[in-house]
Amino acid sequence: MDKKIKYICPICRWTPAEYEPIHDWEHCPNCLSSIHEQDEDGNECGGIYEPVGIWVIDDSRWEIIQRCAWCGAMKSTPLHGDDNPLVVLSVASKPLANPPFPVEKTEELTRIMGGKGDIGGYYT
Amino acid sequence: MNRENKKRKYDKKYFMKHPCTDSFTCKVCGWPVVSNGAGSNHRNHCPNCLSSIHLDNKPGDRSSECHGVMEPIGVWVRTGGEWAVIHRCRICGKIVSNRVAADDNPMKLMALAMKPFGSERISQKSINKLTISMEG
Repeated sequence: MDKKIKYICPICRWTPAEYEPIHDWEHCPNCLSSIHEQDEDGNECGGIYEPVGIWVIDDSRWEIIQRCAWCGAMKSTPLHGDDNPLVVLSVASKPLANPPFPVEKTEELTRIMGGKGDIGGYYT
Repeated sequence: MNRENKKRKYDKKYFMKHPCTDSFTCKVCGWPVVSNGAGSNHRNHCPNCLSSIHLDNKPGDRSSECHGVMEPIGVWVRTGGEWAVIHRCRICGKIVSNRVAADDNPMKLMALAMKPFGSERISQKSINKLTISMEG
Protein backbone atom coordinates (compact mmCIF):
# COMPACT_ATOMS: atom_id res chain seq x y z
CA MET A 1 0.00 0.00 0.00
CA ASP A 2 1.34 3.35 -0.96
CA LYS A 3 1.32 5.76 1.96
CA LYS A 4 1.04 8.75 -0.31
CA ILE A 5 -2.20 7.55 -1.85
CA LYS A 6 -3.97 6.19 1.20
CA TYR A 7 -4.92 8.51 4.01
CA ILE A 8 -5.23 7.10 7.51
CA CYS A 9 -6.46 9.38 10.28
CA PRO A 10 -3.97 9.16 13.18
CA ILE A 11 -6.76 9.73 15.70
CA CYS A 12 -9.78 7.68 14.62
CA ARG A 13 -8.04 5.39 12.08
CA TRP A 14 -10.51 6.33 9.37
CA THR A 15 -9.43 5.63 5.83
CA PRO A 16 -11.23 6.40 2.55
CA ALA A 17 -12.87 3.53 0.71
CA GLU A 18 -11.41 2.22 -2.56
CA TYR A 19 -13.62 4.22 -4.90
CA GLU A 20 -13.49 7.48 -2.96
CA PRO A 21 -11.40 10.33 -4.36
CA ILE A 22 -8.27 11.20 -2.40
CA HIS A 23 -7.88 14.77 -1.19
CA ASP A 24 -5.28 16.58 0.82
CA TRP A 25 -7.42 16.88 3.93
CA GLU A 26 -6.59 19.54 6.46
CA HIS A 27 -8.61 17.64 9.04
CA CYS A 28 -9.98 14.11 9.10
CA PRO A 29 -13.43 14.16 7.42
CA ASN A 30 -14.70 11.55 9.86
CA CYS A 31 -13.69 12.95 13.27
CA LEU A 32 -12.79 16.55 12.21
CA SER A 33 -9.60 16.36 14.27
CA SER A 34 -5.98 16.79 13.25
CA ILE A 35 -2.53 16.86 14.80
CA HIS A 36 -0.92 20.07 16.07
CA GLU A 37 2.44 19.78 14.38
CA GLN A 38 4.17 23.02 15.36
CA ASP A 39 3.37 25.81 17.81
CA GLU A 40 4.06 29.54 17.31
CA ASP A 41 7.73 29.27 18.17
CA GLY A 42 8.28 26.37 15.80
CA ASN A 43 8.49 23.77 18.53
CA GLU A 44 6.86 20.41 18.10
CA CYS A 45 3.58 20.09 20.02
CA GLY A 46 1.97 16.83 18.91
CA GLY A 47 -1.35 17.50 20.63
CA ILE A 48 -4.69 16.70 19.07
CA TYR A 49 -6.67 19.55 17.52
CA GLU A 50 -10.22 18.77 18.61
CA PRO A 51 -13.27 20.35 16.96
CA VAL A 52 -14.90 22.72 19.48
CA GLY A 53 -17.15 24.92 17.41
CA ILE A 54 -18.54 25.93 14.05
CA TRP A 55 -17.99 29.38 12.62
CA VAL A 56 -20.71 30.43 10.18
CA ILE A 57 -19.23 33.11 7.90
CA ASP A 58 -22.21 32.94 5.55
CA ASP A 59 -24.55 30.24 4.30
CA SER A 60 -22.04 28.67 1.96
CA ARG A 61 -18.86 29.09 3.99
CA TRP A 62 -18.47 27.34 7.32
CA GLU A 63 -15.27 26.84 9.25
CA ILE A 64 -14.49 24.34 11.94
CA ILE A 65 -12.80 25.84 14.99
CA GLN A 66 -10.23 23.46 16.42
CA ARG A 67 -8.47 23.66 19.76
CA CYS A 68 -5.31 21.81 20.72
CA ALA A 69 -6.12 19.63 23.72
CA TRP A 70 -2.50 19.82 24.83
CA CYS A 71 -1.48 23.50 24.57
CA GLY A 72 -4.79 25.30 24.01
CA ALA A 73 -3.91 26.87 20.65
CA MET A 74 -6.87 27.49 18.37
CA LYS A 75 -7.27 27.59 14.61
CA SER A 76 -9.99 27.32 12.03
CA THR A 77 -10.15 25.19 8.92
CA PRO A 78 -12.77 25.41 6.19
CA LEU A 79 -15.51 22.81 6.20
CA HIS A 80 -15.04 20.35 3.36
CA GLY A 81 -17.77 18.78 1.29
CA ASP A 82 -16.96 15.26 2.50
CA ASP A 83 -16.97 16.11 6.19
CA ASN A 84 -19.28 13.94 8.25
CA PRO A 85 -22.50 16.00 8.67
CA LEU A 86 -23.50 14.09 11.80
CA VAL A 87 -20.27 15.03 13.58
CA VAL A 88 -20.58 18.65 12.42
CA LEU A 89 -24.10 18.87 13.84
CA SER A 90 -23.06 17.19 17.07
CA VAL A 91 -20.25 19.73 17.55
CA ALA A 92 -22.69 22.56 16.82
CA SER A 93 -25.32 21.29 19.26
CA LYS A 94 -22.98 20.78 22.22
CA PRO A 95 -23.45 24.32 23.63
CA LEU A 96 -27.21 24.08 23.18
CA ALA A 97 -27.30 20.88 25.21
CA ASN A 98 -25.48 22.57 28.07
CA PRO A 99 -26.72 26.16 28.47
CA PRO A 100 -25.14 28.23 31.29
CA PHE A 101 -28.44 29.89 32.22
CA PRO A 102 -32.08 28.72 32.25
CA VAL A 103 -33.14 28.82 28.60
CA GLU A 104 -36.79 29.48 29.46
CA LYS A 105 -35.77 32.75 31.13
CA THR A 106 -33.64 34.06 28.25
CA GLU A 107 -36.00 36.95 27.45
CA GLU A 108 -36.37 37.93 31.09
CA LEU A 109 -32.63 37.88 31.69
CA THR A 110 -31.99 39.92 28.55
CA ARG A 111 -34.51 42.54 29.68
CA ILE A 112 -32.88 42.73 33.12
CA MET A 113 -29.49 43.54 31.67
CA GLY A 114 -31.01 46.15 29.37
CA GLY A 115 -30.64 44.32 26.07
CA LYS A 116 -33.22 43.74 23.39
CA GLY A 117 -34.40 40.57 21.74
CA ASP A 118 -37.40 38.46 21.02
CA ILE A 119 -37.56 34.68 20.72
CA GLY A 120 -40.98 34.84 19.11
CA GLY A 121 -44.04 32.84 20.03
CA TYR A 122 -46.15 33.12 23.15
CA TYR A 123 -43.55 32.07 25.70
CA THR A 124 -43.39 35.12 27.94
CA MET B 1 -0.73 52.86 47.68
CA ASN B 2 2.96 52.85 48.50
CA ARG B 3 5.70 53.80 46.13
CA GLU B 4 6.51 50.22 45.14
CA ASN B 5 2.93 49.49 44.09
CA LYS B 6 2.60 52.79 42.27
CA LYS B 7 5.66 52.07 40.24
CA ARG B 8 4.27 48.69 39.29
CA LYS B 9 0.98 50.18 38.15
CA TYR B 10 2.70 51.91 35.25
CA ASP B 11 4.49 48.75 34.27
CA LYS B 12 3.16 47.38 30.99
CA LYS B 13 2.61 43.88 32.32
CA TYR B 14 0.87 45.04 35.53
CA PHE B 15 -2.42 43.42 34.57
CA MET B 16 -0.93 39.94 34.44
CA LYS B 17 -1.05 39.90 38.25
CA HIS B 18 -3.69 42.49 39.11
CA PRO B 19 -7.23 42.83 37.76
CA CYS B 20 -7.94 45.89 35.63
CA THR B 21 -10.81 47.85 37.19
CA ASP B 22 -11.11 50.67 34.64
CA SER B 23 -14.52 51.23 33.10
CA PHE B 24 -14.63 51.80 29.36
CA THR B 25 -17.02 52.43 26.49
CA CYS B 26 -17.36 49.61 24.00
CA LYS B 27 -15.76 50.60 20.70
CA VAL B 28 -18.20 48.51 18.70
CA CYS B 29 -21.64 49.17 20.21
CA GLY B 30 -21.01 52.10 22.58
CA TRP B 31 -22.12 50.25 25.70
CA PRO B 32 -20.73 51.78 28.93
CA VAL B 33 -18.90 48.87 30.58
CA VAL B 34 -17.94 48.80 34.27
CA SER B 35 -15.64 46.18 35.71
CA ASN B 36 -17.87 44.89 38.49
CA GLY B 37 -20.77 42.55 37.83
CA ALA B 38 -18.75 40.25 35.62
CA GLY B 39 -18.63 37.52 38.26
CA SER B 40 -14.87 37.44 37.80
CA ASN B 41 -12.07 39.95 38.28
CA HIS B 42 -11.22 40.06 34.62
CA ARG B 43 -13.64 41.83 32.33
CA ASN B 44 -12.66 40.73 28.89
CA HIS B 45 -15.42 41.59 26.43
CA CYS B 46 -18.41 43.91 26.18
CA PRO B 47 -21.41 42.24 27.86
CA ASN B 48 -23.80 43.67 25.27
CA CYS B 49 -22.21 42.82 21.91
CA LEU B 50 -19.58 40.33 23.20
CA SER B 51 -16.89 42.02 21.10
CA SER B 52 -13.44 42.81 22.42
CA ILE B 53 -10.26 44.58 21.36
CA HIS B 54 -7.01 42.79 20.61
CA LEU B 55 -4.73 44.20 23.33
CA ASP B 56 -3.03 41.14 24.80
CA ASN B 57 -0.78 38.48 23.40
CA LYS B 58 -0.81 36.58 26.69
CA PRO B 59 -3.65 37.32 29.15
CA GLY B 60 -3.04 40.74 30.72
CA ASP B 61 0.29 41.70 29.17
CA ARG B 62 -1.13 44.54 26.98
CA SER B 63 1.70 44.02 24.51
CA SER B 64 -0.19 43.54 21.26
CA GLU B 65 0.27 46.20 18.61
CA CYS B 66 -2.75 45.05 16.62
CA HIS B 67 -5.70 46.67 18.46
CA GLY B 68 -8.18 45.15 16.02
CA VAL B 69 -11.77 44.32 16.86
CA MET B 70 -12.16 40.78 18.16
CA GLU B 71 -15.56 39.64 17.01
CA PRO B 72 -17.38 36.67 18.59
CA ILE B 73 -17.57 33.80 16.10
CA GLY B 74 -18.89 30.99 18.28
CA VAL B 75 -19.24 29.40 21.67
CA TRP B 76 -17.95 26.12 22.99
CA VAL B 77 -18.36 24.12 26.20
CA ARG B 78 -15.28 23.74 28.36
CA THR B 79 -14.75 20.67 30.51
CA GLY B 80 -16.94 21.36 33.51
CA GLY B 81 -19.86 22.60 31.45
CA GLU B 82 -18.96 26.29 31.36
CA TRP B 83 -19.36 28.20 28.13
CA ALA B 84 -16.58 30.18 26.52
CA VAL B 85 -16.86 32.69 23.67
CA ILE B 86 -14.50 32.21 20.73
CA HIS B 87 -13.12 35.55 19.51
CA ARG B 88 -11.39 36.18 16.20
CA CYS B 89 -9.40 39.32 15.44
CA ARG B 90 -10.65 41.04 12.29
CA ILE B 91 -7.19 42.37 11.42
CA CYS B 92 -4.74 39.60 12.21
CA GLY B 93 -7.07 36.59 12.38
CA LYS B 94 -5.95 35.37 15.80
CA ILE B 95 -8.48 33.08 17.49
CA VAL B 96 -8.77 32.95 21.28
CA SER B 97 -11.37 31.65 23.70
CA ASN B 98 -12.68 33.60 26.69
CA ARG B 99 -14.94 32.60 29.58
CA VAL B 100 -18.44 34.04 29.51
CA ALA B 101 -19.16 36.61 32.25
CA ALA B 102 -22.18 36.53 34.53
CA ASP B 103 -23.83 39.56 32.91
CA ASP B 104 -23.26 38.69 29.25
CA ASN B 105 -26.27 39.16 27.01
CA PRO B 106 -28.01 35.74 27.04
CA MET B 107 -29.81 36.48 23.79
CA LYS B 108 -26.52 37.14 21.98
CA LEU B 109 -24.97 34.00 23.42
CA MET B 110 -27.93 31.90 22.33
CA ALA B 111 -27.85 33.49 18.86
CA LEU B 112 -24.17 32.55 18.51
CA ALA B 113 -24.89 28.96 19.53
CA MET B 114 -27.90 28.68 17.19
CA LYS B 115 -26.16 30.10 14.11
CA PRO B 116 -25.24 26.76 12.45
CA PHE B 117 -28.87 25.63 12.69
CA GLY B 118 -30.22 28.66 10.86
CA SER B 119 -27.91 28.24 7.89
CA GLU B 120 -28.55 26.52 4.58
CA ARG B 121 -25.26 24.62 4.44
CA ILE B 122 -26.71 21.65 6.32
CA SER B 123 -30.39 22.26 5.73
CA GLN B 124 -33.39 20.45 7.13
CA LYS B 125 -33.79 18.74 3.77
CA SER B 126 -30.31 17.23 3.88
CA ILE B 127 -30.83 16.09 7.47
CA ASN B 128 -34.06 14.44 6.34
CA LYS B 129 -32.18 12.70 3.51
CA LEU B 130 -29.53 11.58 6.01
CA THR B 131 -32.06 9.99 8.36
CA ILE B 132 -33.86 8.21 5.50
CA SER B 133 -30.59 6.75 4.21
CA MET B 134 -29.60 5.66 7.72
CA GLU B 135 -32.91 3.87 8.23
CA GLY B 136 -31.88 1.70 5.31
